[in-house]
Amino acid sequence: MKADLKIKKKPMKEKLNKNELHRQSVLLVFTIIFVIYGFIFYYLPLAGWIMGFQNYKIRDGLFHSQFVGFDKFIFLFQDKSFLRVIRNTLAMGIINLVATFVTAIAFAILLNEVRNKTGKKMVQTISYLPHFLSWIIVTGIIHDALSNTGIINEILMNLHVIDGPINFFAHEKYFWPIVAFANVWKETGWNAIIYLAAITSIDPSLYEAAEMDGAGRWAKIKHITLPGIRPTIMILLVMNVGNVLNAGFEVQYLLGNGLVRKVSETIDIYVLNWGVSQSDYSLGTAAGIFKSVVAIILIIIANSVAKKSGEEHLF
Amino acid sequence: MNDKNEMELNYANADGESDGGIQIEPKVNPPENKRKIEIKRSHRKRRASDKVFTVCNTVFMILFSVVTLYPVLNTLAISLNDGLDAVRGGIHLIPRVFSLKSYQTVLGIQGFVRGAFITVSRTVLGTLFALVANALLAYIISRKRFLFRSELSLFWVITMYVSGGLIPTMVLYKALHLTNSFWVYVIPGMVSAFNVMVLRTYMEGLPDELEESAQLDGAGYMTIFVRVISPLCKPVYATVALFVAVYQWNSWFDAMIYNRMKPEYTTLQYELMKLLNSVMQQSGSATGGAAANGGNVSAVTPVSVRSAATIITMLPIVCLYPFLQRYFVTGLTIGGVKG
Amino acid sequence: MKFKKFLALTMACMLSVAALAGCGGGDKPTTGGSSEPKGLEAGETYEKDEIVNYTMFIAMPGSEINDGNEIQNIIAEKTGVKVKETWLTGQSAAEAVGSILASGDLPDFIDGGDGMMQLYDAGVLVPWDEYIEKYPNIKELYSDEEWESFRQKDGHIYWANVFCNTYGESMATGHNDEAFWIQCRVLEWAGYPEIKTLDQYFDLLERYAAANPTMEDGTPVIPYTMLCEDWRYFCIENAPEFLAGYPNDGSVIVDTNAMKIVDYNTIPEAKEYFSILNEEYNKGIIDTEFATQTYDEYIAKLSTGRVLGMCDQWWDFAYTVNDIFVQQNLDDIGCNYVPLGLTLEEGKEQMWHVYGDTLNNSSGVAVTTSCADPDRAFRFLNDVLDQEIHDLRFWGVEGVDYLVDEDGMYYRTQEMRDKWADSAYQAEHRCVYSYLPQWLGTSHDGKNAMQPQEQASEFFAGLADPLVKCFEAYGAHGYPDMIGSVVKETGPWYPMYSYSNSMTTETPGGVAWTKMGEVKHEWLPKVVMASNFDKEWDAYMKAYSECKPEDFIAEMQEELDRRAGR
Repeated sequence: MKADLKIKKKPMKEKLNKNELHRQSVLLVFTIIFVIYGFIFYYLPLAGWIMGFQNYKIRDGLFHSQFVGFDKFIFLFQDKSFLRVIRNTLAMGIINLVATFVTAIAFAILLNEVRNKTGKKMVQTISYLPHFLSWIIVTGIIHDALSNTGIINEILMNLHVIDGPINFFAHEKYFWPIVAFANVWKETGWNAIIYLAAITSIDPSLYEAAEMDGAGRWAKIKHITLPGIRPTIMILLVMNVGNVLNAGFEVQYLLGNGLVRKVSETIDIYVLNWGVSQSDYSLGTAAGIFKSVVAIILIIIANSVAKKSGEEHLF
Repeated sequence: MNDKNEMELNYANADGESDGGIQIEPKVNPPENKRKIEIKRSHRKRRASDKVFTVCNTVFMILFSVVTLYPVLNTLAISLNDGLDAVRGGIHLIPRVFSLKSYQTVLGIQGFVRGAFITVSRTVLGTLFALVANALLAYIISRKRFLFRSELSLFWVITMYVSGGLIPTMVLYKALHLTNSFWVYVIPGMVSAFNVMVLRTYMEGLPDELEESAQLDGAGYMTIFVRVISPLCKPVYATVALFVAVYQWNSWFDAMIYNRMKPEYTTLQYELMKLLNSVMQQSGSATGGAAANGGNVSAVTPVSVRSAATIITMLPIVCLYPFLQRYFVTGLTIGGVKG
Repeated sequence: MKFKKFLALTMACMLSVAALAGCGGGDKPTTGGSSEPKGLEAGETYEKDEIVNYTMFIAMPGSEINDGNEIQNIIAEKTGVKVKETWLTGQSAAEAVGSILASGDLPDFIDGGDGMMQLYDAGVLVPWDEYIEKYPNIKELYSDEEWESFRQKDGHIYWANVFCNTYGESMATGHNDEAFWIQCRVLEWAGYPEIKTLDQYFDLLERYAAANPTMEDGTPVIPYTMLCEDWRYFCIENAPEFLAGYPNDGSVIVDTNAMKIVDYNTIPEAKEYFSILNEEYNKGIIDTEFATQTYDEYIAKLSTGRVLGMCDQWWDFAYTVNDIFVQQNLDDIGCNYVPLGLTLEEGKEQMWHVYGDTLNNSSGVAVTTSCADPDRAFRFLNDVLDQEIHDLRFWGVEGVDYLVDEDGMYYRTQEMRDKWADSAYQAEHRCVYSYLPQWLGTSHDGKNAMQPQEQASEFFAGLADPLVKCFEAYGAHGYPDMIGSVVKETGPWYPMYSYSNSMTTETPGGVAWTKMGEVKHEWLPKVVMASNFDKEWDAYMKAYSECKPEDFIAEMQEELDRRAGR
């Protein structure tokens, strides 16, 4: 394929000779600064993880609180509902990841195909606006639209798809799709910004050449745009895989109710119910440690898969 | 259209109307006239399908815009509606009882100007600092010959998924004398691994030849960063700047936690948050009860204040966006050098 | 961050439930009955440079007032102290207190709400003991016995609750608590019948809805709805304790004869209550969306006047809804709600309304060790109880915010009332110091109310005609009379919810309590919506008993024994 774009991966084969090492000393100096900075602001506070193994009390502080070993973790994993909560979190995390990923990429690519410059700018400006709305506003609108007298039920009834209104929030099966839709609705335009920026790095002459060769729109998307943003896609995918356990709190909290509790509760909500609202810092910390460990394992797996298949990877 | 044969044929017909430029021999060799028809047909097909694509894409974009614009317009309508009346619901795109009371309330809070000043300062300084730090770190990690590339990468990737929690962080900042100070808004969040990775990916996509030729000219790493790489990274710099700026602009929690007793370092969002909280409190407690005694009070409600605050928060970003937008809507030509 | 915001709201609201519930008022004997102002020397004023600036953090959401607030300045001139209040925003009380402690930047005054014990544990509070004796207004707040209940394990008193404390005779006209509410037009339509039982209540709603199925504009009425959202699910959850004739201990019933804790979720009254709800739901009387509606949707529904009745606490709906009724002229057609004190069988005594004060000794205002001059701080706490300052806080400036008639009675014009409620005016003019010590009940002058909402003239001034007619028809002088609860002292253990709210997962009882909540959130709507009630109820009871409610009950029993002094 003539128009196919290949990002050069060929490393410079020069040896790390003395001269190069000397050149790198400036990088090394900055590296040390960045490592010190990172250590202070990100790694030092992890001393707080000790709380996960303590029965932490403010009055005793980190140093004098009673150690309870893995009690808090045992408490979590003995609870049947915690396992269900992990399932919910994972399911929603994955559904949201896939849905928001696909829509953002598709939107960025399609927007890039818009020829009318004013239209393009306008659509883009509009697209990221919902990002600035708080969840309480967005879920409020969704609640409105899906209520018995809301627009969705009205349309479905006018189309004779259903006879009476569906109470969407009363059925477990609708909950995950509603949450996914809410995420897509709010964040598609915003998430697309990164891809739009990545698209700009594609050499326009590639498009010109393809045009010369008579490539159609789809062909150009498939053979130029997509490969061009592939590294960005891969990096974001790998990073976000680590976030699947952060499926969120607010959406589920605001859209959920007692009837769908079995599918709506996420780890964060669980921690709220059990830990934070009862000022049990240790339980919250334990859940946090669990999430971090899972995230790091997932990241390492995703990264090595990416590495093996020759894709862009994180480290 | 995704059929491979057709694709190749399309490429073959690059020259459009003039039918001479066929460079690839078709796999089957049909009689001359039949071949011509085929070419024309596929040609027409391509143009037609491009047209269909354009129409579909336009329709899709319009639909998409309508759907995403709706919540924003709805918020705007509610913010321009009388607060109490809005509680009844059923407002869509047009205010039912027009009122500017919500905006008066939001703009009338005492901390507004002070908060706005701090917010603008932290947004400008924070974005600047973060951009330089993130770009530099990304540059280091993206140097393919750098000795500790992978280790440094991993060191920062991990920071995305771990957190020590509120109280240890608080104790740390206190020890560093960052509490009760403006710099708590700028220093701690300066490097974000996510942004670094986005920048790095972009930098790695730049052709190696750039660096090589600069190096032959005797440029050191920092010169290459400033003179060669950075000018090419404008789109991704704009993206990261936008992310950081929006984060800074919307932040309020740090203002409350670290500068609780220092009203001079309050931020706009924290002031709005406090207002919202107080309105919520009033609409559900004895302190706001006078209106319940049958007064003719046009009260503000949490819903109306939240909407007005949202619109006010959104406005500057909507105004600034077009200036950033040109960096990532139009394509960029990498001057002269091709990968 | 967002997570914390939500959490804080939940917590804050939960706390205000605790703070407001049971604040009905009533007459509580006060230790001193003297009407002499104490502590504040008449005519004494302070110059600007003599005024001490204090800070105060209140672990509750609230309204900040402007710097240069007018009444705050007047109070500062008279007392020599100005307090800058900072409120809870986007955190839970416990979290906020935790981070304040970690930061080491303590305010001079603090009300830690749920985080009070953390402050005590951290040893940053100044004991009140000597100052209680020194300052008479402070001492007068509580009887010796009540002060004792604030005493902590180390033998000192570190805080005092400021709410629900009646001076002299109670002037209460409102019912802030839970009740089955009904629109007064429904009562008027039926000729103001006596409604005493849940059956009569639903029977009336059914008949009214059958005769008047729509509003004037054609939208159908909703005879009954209930809120199940999050912590507000008390609207469906705790009616059984009242229906069984007990007061709002919140999480349990206290059987005063046997001094035993009773679980109201499993008593026969609970089953009967839910079976009635189930029956009504299947008849179409109960809103089909009740289980999934949000609070905003619930309030929106109520605001249209379509909802004829519901079970709720007054503060949860009345402020917003009543204002909208006025705005929409729905108050003139009798959409306002009046409370009914229902039971399951006729003639049973009930305690929906509790007369008398409810003392919540788990939190209150405290002075911290960061305060340079604690004596000055306590003198200020004493001064704010002075009648002159108290009037400034709650009534405002005479001639500006209220007038005095020839009998010495305070009153407001409608214009003053509107102004007083305006948020901008509040910020620049009003200074309530709402979390500093205060009184309800009768003023030292023996005529006026300490706080305007209890002044009879103020209360009746704005009532719509249908409401006045309704009160007249039943011979009621206020909301409590509509309920007609039996006048009965609550024990020193009341309310028990102050204990269950503080339980943690460290004890089996706390674990059970959280699980019970989860199960009820899920099952109560299911039970109401069931097509086969008995089957669903049994399934609910099975799930419920798996939470080990007995662990919870046992711990509550222990606490009851402790509180009852046994």
